[in-house]
This record gives sequence, C-alpha cells and structure tokens, in this order.
Amino acid sequence: MLEVAGLTTKYGAISALRDAHLTVGEGEVVGLIGPNGAGKTTLLGSIAGILPIESGTTTFDGADITSVAPEKILRSGLALVPEHRRIFTEMTVEENLKIGGVTRSATERGELLEEMAELFPVLRDKWDTAAGFMSGGEAQQLAIARALMSKPKLIMMDEPSLGLAPVLVDLVFELIDTLRSQGRTILVVEQNATRMLSAADRAYVLRSGDIVATGTGAELLERDDLFDTFVGG
Amino acid sequence: MFPDARRDVLFPVIGSAVLFSVLVGGGMLYQTIIGNGAAERLMTTMLIDAIIVIGIQVYIGNTGILSFGHIGFGAVAGYAFAVYAVSPEEKLKRIPNAPFGLTDTQVGPTLAMLIAVVVTLVFAFIVGIGLARSGAQSGAVAPTVITLAVLFVTHEVAKSWPQLTGGNRGGVSFAIGASLDKRWPILLALFAALLGARLYGQSRSGRLATAAREDNLAARAMGVNPLVQQMTALLISVIVVSIGSSLRVWQIGSILPDRFFFDYAMLTLVMLIVGGRNSVTGAVLGVAVMTAALELARRLGQEGFEIFGIGLDQAPLDWVFRENLNSIVLGIAMVGFMIWRPSGILEDWEFDRWLYRRLDRDEVEPERLVELDEVPDLRFSASDISVSFGGFHALSGAGITAASGEVVGIIGPNGAGKTTFVNVITGMVEPTHGEFSIGDRSLTGMPSFELSRSGLVRTFQNLRMFGALTVRENVETAALVAREHRADRQLPDVDPLIREAGLWEHRDRRARELDYGNSRRLELARAAAMAPSFMLLDEPTSGMSDSESLTMIEQVRHMAATVGAGVIVIDHDLGFITGISDRIYVFDQGRVIAEGTPAEVQADPRVQAAYLGSMAGD
Amino acid sequence: MSELLQNLIDGLGRGSIYALLALGVAVVFGIMHLLNFAHGELITIPAYVTYWAFNNGWNWWTVVPLIVIVAVLSSLLIERIAFSRVRGAKDFTLLLTSFGVHFIVAAGFLLYVSASVKQIPRPTWAANTVAISAVRIELFDIVVIAVTIVVLAGTTWLLQRTMFGLALRAAAADFDTARLMGIKSDSVIRGAFALSGFLAGIAAVFWIMREGQVTPTAGIDPMLKGVLAALIGGLGSLRGAVLGGFVLGLAEVLLRSWLPIEIQNLTTGFVFVMIALLFIFRPGGLVSVPQVERV
Repeated sequence: MLEVAGLTTKYGAISALRDAHLTVGEGEVVGLIGPNGAGKTTLLGSIAGILPIESGTTTFDGADITSVAPEKILRSGLALVPEHRRIFTEMTVEENLKIGGVTRSATERGELLEEMAELFPVLRDKWDTAAGFMSGGEAQQLAIARALMSKPKLIMMDEPSLGLAPVLVDLVFELIDTLRSQGRTILVVEQNATRMLSAADRAYVLRSGDIVATGTGAELLERDDLFDTFVGG
Repeated sequence: MFPDARRDVLFPVIGSAVLFSVLVGGGMLYQTIIGNGAAERLMTTMLIDAIIVIGIQVYIGNTGILSFGHIGFGAVAGYAFAVYAVSPEEKLKRIPNAPFGLTDTQVGPTLAMLIAVVVTLVFAFIVGIGLARSGAQSGAVAPTVITLAVLFVTHEVAKSWPQLTGGNRGGVSFAIGASLDKRWPILLALFAALLGARLYGQSRSGRLATAAREDNLAARAMGVNPLVQQMTALLISVIVVSIGSSLRVWQIGSILPDRFFFDYAMLTLVMLIVGGRNSVTGAVLGVAVMTAALELARRLGQEGFEIFGIGLDQAPLDWVFRENLNSIVLGIAMVGFMIWRPSGILEDWEFDRWLYRRLDRDEVEPERLVELDEVPDLRFSASDISVSFGGFHALSGAGITAASGEVVGIIGPNGAGKTTFVNVITGMVEPTHGEFSIGDRSLTGMPSFELSRSGLVRTFQNLRMFGALTVRENVETAALVAREHRADRQLPDVDPLIREAGLWEHRDRRARELDYGNSRRLELARAAAMAPSFMLLDEPTSGMSDSESLTMIEQVRHMAATVGAGVIVIDHDLGFITGISDRIYVFDQGRVIAEGTPAEVQADPRVQAAYLGSMAGD
Repeated sequence: MSELLQNLIDGLGRGSIYALLALGVAVVFGIMHLLNFAHGELITIPAYVTYWAFNNGWNWWTVVPLIVIVAVLSSLLIERIAFSRVRGAKDFTLLLTSFGVHFIVAAGFLLYVSASVKQIPRPTWAANTVAISAVRIELFDIVVIAVTIVVLAGTTWLLQRTMFGLALRAAAADFDTARLMGIKSDSVIRGAFALSGFLAGIAAVFWIMREGQVTPTAGIDPMLKGVLAALIGGLGSLRGAVLGGFVLGLAEVLLRSWLPIEIQNLTTGFVFVMIALLFIFRPGGLVSVPQVERV
C-alpha cells in the first residue's frame, strides 16, 4: 500500500535521512525503531508531506505522493498522528475530533464521532472538556482518534508512547492491536523497541539516518545484538 | 588577522570616499546636463535624503528592527533646529508666544543643529529604554508599534502645540540669515554620515548588533547583550537623522508637521528597502534609484514622453501617467520588492568589503593551535536541580559534575529531561530548586549572556549560525566578546581556530552556505573562541551519519584541548557518546539513573531497559 | 451623571466600530501573522463606491449591502494580488507589504479619482436623538451598538458552531497540524480574509454614515483604530480584540472629556503613548499568553 524508495531528506539541521526504502502492505502493522535522532520522525514527516524531500519517491495506493501538499496526502487516505500529538488545546475533545473529520460529509462525521466515543470511552467522558486539560494518555488517545476520523487507509503514528507511564503504554499498544484486528494498516515509529517488535508484523531499524536492519518483529526481537544495532560502531 | 584595522577602518574610509564621489559626482553630472534650477534642487534633496536614509540604515540594518519612528525623531530635530535658528523677527510672526523665551532666542545654524541633535538624542534614549523593555528584537511586533507611536505622537504634538511649532498653518517658515545656498554643509554631513555608518557597522558594537540581528538567542549564548548594542545603534542613527533633518528644514526653508510624517517615512523606508537595508552601499543605491524613478514618474505625469512613437500624453495612457504618480510608485516599489526581493537589490553587500577581498593579499595559512598544557583546574557542578511545569515534574533532583579537561556525556531516552536540564544550566529555564556553579562562582539565576561570559558556553541542537555573516565573522563575534569578558584566560587566535576546525578554505563564505558537517564545526569553533571553561554541546551529531559522528569525536576533543575547556555533551548517538566521554550520566524520567564509565554504563541493564523499553511488568 | 451616561453610550458606539475593525485585524493576524496596515482600505474603497452609488440614484437601503459586498470582495482581491505572494515570509516583510498596499490604494484614489473631499449624504434618522430621563442619546449610537452585538454574536456562532469556524480556529492555533487534518491552506486563508472583509464592511457602513464624506486617506484612521485596538487586546486573541475595541472607544471619549481643551487634539497621540507603554510593560497585551522561548 505504501512504498518508499530511495528517500533522502535533509530536515534543516535536526536529522537527515539517507536512501531509505520501506514498504507497508495492506493490513500490516509495521514498526520503525531506533535511537533518537535517527531520522524516524523525518521519515514520517517526509511521507506525510510536511518535510521537503531531496530525492527518492513515495507511493501510496499506486499514486505518487512525493512532495505533495499534506492536505492532499491526507485526502488520499494517509493520516499522521504527529510527534507530541499536537492536539488543539483550546478546543474541546469533540471539536478536535470534528476537525479530524473535516474532509468527511456531515453525516459521516456524525457516525464517526459515535464510533470514536465507543472505541475511546475516556474521550466520551471528557467530550466537552478543553483538550489542553487532558493527561498525556488521554491526549494520545485523542490524537489517534482524531486521525481515525478521516477514515484513513493507512495511519502513521509518531512515538505514541512518548512520555507515558507504563500502564498507559500498555493502553497504546492494546489500541494498536485493536486497530489491527479491525483490519487497519499502521506504520508506527516507536522508542519502546521491545514492545513495538512484539506488536509488529515487520519492522525497520533506523540509525543515524540509515536503515540498518529489517525483518519480522519476532526475528528482530530474537537478535542478541539488538542493543548494539542501536549503539552502532 | 584579528582585529583587522585594514578591513574595519581603512577600507571603510576608502569605500565611503568612493560612494561619496559616485553619488555626488553622479548628481553633479545630472545637474550639469539638465542645467536648470529644478535639477539642482533635486540633487540637493537627494543628498539630504541620503543622509537621512543612511541614518535609518544604521539602526534597521544593524539591529534588524523595523522602525517607523525615525522620521518622528527627524521631526523633533527639525523643529528644534528651526526654533533655534530662525531670527526673532520671523518668529514673532509665526510663534510669538513660544515657551522658554524661544521667540527671542537665535543661534547660528551650526549651534542650532547641535541643539537639535542633543534634544533628539535625549528623546531617543527614552524611547530606546522603552524598546529594550518591550523585548525588541529582529522581527518582533512591539518595536514596530512603539516606533509607530513615535511617528504619530511627534506629528500630533507638532500639530497641537502651535505656540512652539506654529501648528499646521504655515509652520516656522524662515530665512536663517544665511540660507542654505551653499552645498558644503550637506556634503560634509553626507561624508560624515557615510563614514560614521560604515565605521559603526565594522565596529565591535555594530558587529555584535548584527550577530544579534541574525540570531538573538545565539548571540546571547555568545555573551552578547543585544539591548546594549541596539541602544548604541539607535543613538548613532538618531544623530545622523537629526543632522539630516535639520539640513532638510534648512534647505526647504520651512517646516510643517506633515513634512515629517507618513509620506516621508514611506519614502525613506522604500529607498532603504529597495537598495538593501543591511548595507550602507544599498542605502545609497536605493536613494539614487528611487530619486531617479520618482523623477521619471513625475516627468511622465507632467510633460509626456514619447516611447516608440507613442506619446504618453495621449489617451488612454495619459489616464495612467498623471501628475503625482509618486505615491503609487512608492507603494508598488514597496510591495514589488517584498514579493520578489525582500532583501533589496544589494542585500548586505558593501562596497568596501568587496574591495578589501579583491585587493587583499593572499593570506598565509595560519599555524596550528597547540593544545594547552596548563589547564586551570575548575570544576562544574550542578546539584539537586528540579523543574516542574505545572504538575509535571520534568526534573527531580538531577545533578552532574565535570572537571576541566574531562568529557562528560549525558544520555537518556526522549522525554528523560535532558533538554530541560541543559536549558536550566544555560539560563533559559529557571529551576524550581537547585543550583550550579563553576569553581566557587555560583551561576544560578544568571541570564544566558552572563553565563557565557562566566565561562559556560553552549551550542545548539538546531544549529544557530549567524547565517548572513561569514565563517570568520561568526568566530570573530565570539572573539570580540572574549577579549572584553574573558581576558583573564588564554584566548585562541581567530584564524588558527578556523583552520583547526577545518574551515580555513571557507573562511569568507557565509555561514548559511556551509554544508551540514562544516556548520557543526563552525559552531564548535565559535564556542571555542570564547575560551570557555566548559563547553556544553547540545546534540552535536544530530543529523550526521555514523562515520561523520566518529570524526566529530576527535574534533571535539581536540578543540576542547586547545582552549583548555571541559566538555559536557548531550547526544542520542550512543556510539559517539561512548567514544568521546570519560564519564556518562544516564537520565530517565527526570532523574539520573546511572553514572559511570562508558563500559560500565553500556553493560548496565537499567540503561539497556531505558533505551529499548521494557515489556509491561518488567 | 447624565453626562457620564452620554459619554458611556458615545464610547460604546465608537467602541463598537473599533471592535469590528479590531476583530477583522485579529482574524487575519491569527491565520497569517500579518498585521494588516491596509485594513482601512476596506472602508475607503466601499466609501468611494458609495459616493458613486449615491450619484447614480441609489439610496441607503440598497447601498448598505453594497458596502458589505464591496468590502468582502476588496479583502479577497487584496489577498489574491498581494498577500498570497508573501505567505510564510518574515513578519517584517508581511508588515511592509500591507503598508505598501495601503499606499497604493490611497494613492490610486488620489490620482485616479480625486484629491478632494467627496460628500456622502447621511441617512435622515442618524441625526435623531432619543431621550431617556434627562439624557439625550443619539439614535445612531444605539443602532451601531445593537448591530454590532448582533454581528459579534453571529461571528461567535460562526466560529464556534460551524465547520468553517472550526477550521479557522484550528488553522490559527496550529497551521501545520490543520493541514495534516486535510484543511487546505488556500481555503482557510481566503475564508479568513472574507470574514475580515465582512466585519470591515459592517464597520464601514457606520463609519461612512457618521463621517458623511470620503477622501483618499480616509483609511488611515480606521486602520489605526483597528490595529491599536487589536494590540490592546493582545494580538493572539479574538476576544481581546473585541475588548480592545471597546476599551479604545471608551478611552477616547473619556480622554476627550477630561483633557483640557488645548490638548484635546492629542487624543490619538495619548492613545498611542498608552499603547506603547502597554507594550513596554505588558508586551502581550491585555489578554496575553506568555510565550516560552524555543531553543
């Protein structure tokens, strides 16, 4: 469904990406792990159209989305849950969700809102609260729900467990599981490598801008030298 | 070579002379060709406008702060000049009841100009304090509003205080004994303005102000106090504008509130923007270009031309080219340049700097810097640092120590509090608890520019170069500060430092043109030029590949050794950190969870867990 | 007491118009970080059109919607021609662009229409006063206040209860994330300018009625009022802008009644000084949000 070939991005000074190749098949959960600064966020950002790509291509559902505007990419069915969630703190939970569904018709939106309320009971409880008052875990759920409101074919998540207590990390991975059982396709960037590899069908390891390893989740988990691939050298 | 009197004094003098000759010469030529009084008046006006625009350039160009108020300062100067220079007989007709007995006072024009400058300076100083307090920096809204207030308030006062200013009717129209039929005061003032502007631009204050213009935060991290430099630039610019405004009043022979208001502010601003606001040469060019353009527009509107046999005074073109096209030309010039070339024609190109580089002798590659044997034995210590944002505890009792000559690494997963810790010890975030010091000198609570002057210098994760400045000028900025505030240390020479960083062949290239690796090395060199006691490197290998990171290890160690600095480095690249550090601190969830040698830390299962994450219940 | 009430109503009447102008300025600033020095032209242009209309037999009933439509169209046109080309530029550039636009429009009218003052007949009811106990209040002020309240209520409804308003608010809060939601930059920016134009149009109706004339530089005063009021309220805040407008209106009236006659003309100057002081001591305005420096 998603194919990235030879992607090279220089995002100012923060991190670079060199010649990255990645695929995500329909219904798969694919993980992207690696130490910080490795370029994981850069990779997602390049795919989603918010970072300028230097060379290489991204293809989604057969269509070339390289360097296409982010709003168009969203409309083609690829949604991103950004790093640090970036929820609209001044707006209520309901409004955040509605914005997520801005590209849908009003009736569809109404149905989707109900779906989200069911899938995320904690959001239903805080329906009219300003999103800025939510805890980290709640905010993460809101961010994911908001992305789901656009009925994406593929959902990308950037470090969903960031800053969350262990029990909430559990929640996040349960959510990923649930979404997978619904048949959704997911690409997740994660810092928590062990959890991610257990949850993923396949994964890529990114270090200093290069993809250094790939395989199924189980394969990578079994490697003794996993920590070393993180450290390098 | 640093400091470079040829580049900073000799060549600006030469350059000013050349610019002066070109502008005045060009004006005389035009005057001779056209040969009538109108041409002469136009040239005189152009030269006076040049003085004022140069004055405005000194401020806007060096600080990057958009000021609408300089014409307001001009109004103050103009009125002060008029009131003091006009004869009592004239004043009796216009302002018979002037306060402070001014109706009866008269002084010679030179003294009147001096008084005008002083009065305006006092006013400007007060406004400058206000600007400083409002957090003025390049690009901010507040100073624009404040300077706009200056423009409006002076205008309103001029209109509403007829006893002093003659109000809106007729102004203080006058003949000042000798009317300005000689050019030489203008020529003298123009040359002085050119020279002053260039010498200031190359002076310590001007260069520090320019650095702050490029990146306010980085400048402060290099020990620059932007507010002091901005005030200096303001005062010098006001002196020039005051002189120019006095001359303008003298030349026109009268003053009205509207003469120093929106229209003239727009004109001078457009002239500056068109030429290039970051350059004195640009200011001069802008004045010449706009004078020509406006004169052309005036001609097209009035007399009609023929272009390709089509008379411009025939319908329908005569509908477009009318009299008073000026304002439209100005507006279109402003919008056009903002859309297509916001930096102006010349950007920040200066004639004398270009000349200097062309005529410059081939520089010899400087010698290698020797690593210092004797390193003052200082200890950096941060203890019990806690930071809470609302209910969220970013840091709880974190602390590190580092000795001169040591390299201490800080690692930890994202959200561990490393960045917050760095922000605390570099003066950007106030801790709710805790303190830090170098030796027995406490650093807690110091603003960032004082911290770097005290010996703790940082680099930034998001590279912060003084982009428009050359590699050399970047390093010199730090050296300028070090010479003043770090004089007790052994200061490295700028050129050898640049060579040490592997940037000698790029020394005259702008920092923003450097590739990524070189930019990082420039950051290092710039920090080293401060002769710091401790260098704090914030993710120096961010964005680098593994091999590039490894070369950084040697570069950092070497650079630190040449200035005798201890190093504290935060990075995610474990290969880099384990390769460079003598000791490592591991942060997780706002605390230091481990400390030890690289080998110890790497083998620590807690560290592995922190990095790889753990399964639930581990 | 009666004078106080009269001043209050007068101040609110002026303040209403300023609030509308300020809101228009704030809406555009929120989306694009552009302080629109050309906002006053959204009054000048409709004013000249009004002059033309009255010379061609229109009356106030037909002119009012015309004014609003012209204001909206002008706002969109200016965005299209000038501001769309400097999107994402530094604040310096945006500011100067709007300045330049103001100049071009003002100069355009000066050159191609006339420098002289053009008279516009005031509506007949505007001169009426209403008596409440011992106080005579201008009917005009009451109408202005009432209409402004309705418009503000309507705008609040638009921003809070429609998807369009939601999109605007999202874009103002976080433009990049809004695009990630699928919101098109072009659409939301044009929407902001249209809304800004509409608000300016309503303000223009009353401004023109009150002034009864138009000159090429008629736009400077409303622009100043709008910008100043938005600044008083703190540029990031729409509520602040409205509040700032009313504060400005009241301040003007109060200053006028307190200042000695000789310096009453300095009112705008005083307001400017107050705002400058406000910036010095409270850079974020009245309704400010502290900014944290990003490293």
